[in-house]
Amino acid sequence: MTRTLLQVRDLSKRFREREVVKGITFSIAEGSCAALLGPNGAGKTTTIRMLTGLLQPSGGSIKLLINGSPTTDRRPYIGFLPQMPVFYPWMTGAEFLLYAGELAGLTNREAKRETGEWLEAVGLRDEGKRRIGGYSGGMKQRLGLAQALIHRPKLLILDEPVSALDPTGRKDVLTLLQRIRRETTVLFSTHVLHDAEEICDEILMIRSGAIALQGSLEHVRRTHSEPVIRLEVGEDEASRSWLTAACSKNFVIHSEVSGRRAKLRVENVEQASLALMADAASRRIMIRSLEAGRSTLEDLFLKVVQS
Amino acid sequence: MRQFLLFFRKEMLEMGRSFKWLWVPLVFLMLGIMQPVVTRFMPVILESSGNMPKGMTITIDPPSGMEVMAQTLGQFNSVGLMILVLSIMTLISGERQSGVSQMIFAKPVSYLSYAAAKWAIMLSLVTASFVLGYAGAWYYTVQMIGSVETAAALKAALLYMLWLWFTGSLTLFMSSLMNSAAGIAFVSLGAAILLSMASTWLPRYAYSPGFLPEISVQWLQASEKPTGDLGAAILCLMCMIFFFMIAAYQVKIRKSNV
Ligand SMILES: Nc1ncnc2c1ncn2[C@@H]1O[C@H](COP(=O)(O)OP(=O)(O)OP(=O)(O)O)[C@@H](O)[C@H]1O
Ligand SMILES: [Mg+2]
Repeated sequence: MTRTLLQVRDLSKRFREREVVKGITFSIAEGSCAALLGPNGAGKTTTIRMLTGLLQPSGGSIKLLINGSPTTDRRPYIGFLPQMPVFYPWMTGAEFLLYAGELAGLTNREAKRETGEWLEAVGLRDEGKRRIGGYSGGMKQRLGLAQALIHRPKLLILDEPVSALDPTGRKDVLTLLQRIRRETTVLFSTHVLHDAEEICDEILMIRSGAIALQGSLEHVRRTHSEPVIRLEVGEDEASRSWLTAACSKNFVIHSEVSGRRAKLRVENVEQASLALMADAASRRIMIRSLEAGRSTLEDLFLKVVQS
Repeated sequence: MRQFLLFFRKEMLEMGRSFKWLWVPLVFLMLGIMQPVVTRFMPVILESSGNMPKGMTITIDPPSGMEVMAQTLGQFNSVGLMILVLSIMTLISGERQSGVSQMIFAKPVSYLSYAAAKWAIMLSLVTASFVLGYAGAWYYTVQMIGSVETAAALKAALLYMLWLWFTGSLTLFMSSLMNSAAGIAFVSLGAAILLSMASTWLPRYAYSPGFLPEISVQWLQASEKPTGDLGAAILCLMCMIFFFMIAAYQVKIRKSNV
């Protein structure tokens, strides 16, 4: 059973004359994980700020449904991590979590317990006693995640939670998110599409303030992904010219070449790859790699953004 | 109420860790002590500087204790006022500018409690600093200069503290409206100075809070009792409440720097 948790209708935001968010409508089901995708300046942060109540919408409505009925104050049920979390540099990590927990309505004892738990969960057990002023960007991000979760919100909203992290930090955060997902509905913005594919089940792509594409990841994959062949050849001149020639074969619908790599959109992957390999073999061209597959979310993203 | 205490505790901690609880009261204490000490040793200093023509003697009338106390208030009104404004000017704007406020206000917090905690910490700092400085001045004046009339000195202190509270409220009010620290300091100090200067040409019945420093000086010095103190005090308190309400509203509608 999937109940709607968040319902957004015709949400818009105007800064003076510029309309930054242009009437977007979507809903998020309880227990799902939704990714808000879009290029820089698309309006992701603006949308998220309106959802958290930090920014007054110019129009439209936001409803958070708790047990089926909309709440007047969304804040107790929302955990929020801003794009670039800033803390009080003079506080220690543990002190900040305690403060955040108590502000969110936990009793002192509950807040203390949760502080310990979340410091552990985000891997800051030892750093918790140090001043935040000495934290690295990744540590701040993880502390930010902990403060967003400390009161066990129904809906967790994250603005680019992994953009500032190194690969290991990213993996940690994604693993943590995957764990949280079981209890909490998650909405996060990102432009790292690989992450979205890994943990999300709903996609919401926005471009210059309007929804360009939305639906479940399955649905988006099914309807938008296309057969694609990725080719890589050797450095030599002959190979390169063969690659260019291969792009203009009649079974290629669309092609992109960069150096010795090419991405070909084709009608039928099997036939096309066989034809390519036979052609290469007959001309004694070395194919370094050939990958027959379907276009990824990233390809789709680029297509949507550029169109 | 609980949130007010949480916010207030955080402000106390912040002021402690940034040493504001140390240096602001210390500056006021030094200003307070300086006046009686310098007055007491002025003849000695002048004599020892020794570049006076021979045969010439200066006789400085030793000022009375009440006069020295009045001069101390003058010190508070220049350097003291500036230190005060500088130490509290980013109390509200700083959190909005840095972006911490985004995390705080995404939580179910009360804007009124938030603003009230800012006011409470400002009043605590101002009161503690002034009381310390004034007590220091009083003690050294009695020790080195002469007697101080208790009732008048207390009345003057009360009225002068109101004036400092007013300036502090004005600074927090500006802090809720503006983002730039320099702008907040400039406008608050400028307004305070203008108000106290205007007291020389405004009629007394205008009850401007700017009269308060002058009235408290008169309580210390003048032979006849000053008038208009009650009116100015009441108007001052009303201004403070007004500033507080507007600031709390500003905090609510401008939760972050967007
Ligand atoms: N306070 C503001 N006043 C005017 N314009 C604004 C304001 N805040 C944002 N904008 C504009 O709104 C647009 C969307 O900004 P937003 O921060 O929502 O983008 P974003 O999708 O989060 O981008 P990024 O991926 O870079 O974080 C931008 O063009 C930005 O210039
Ligand atoms: Mg953004």
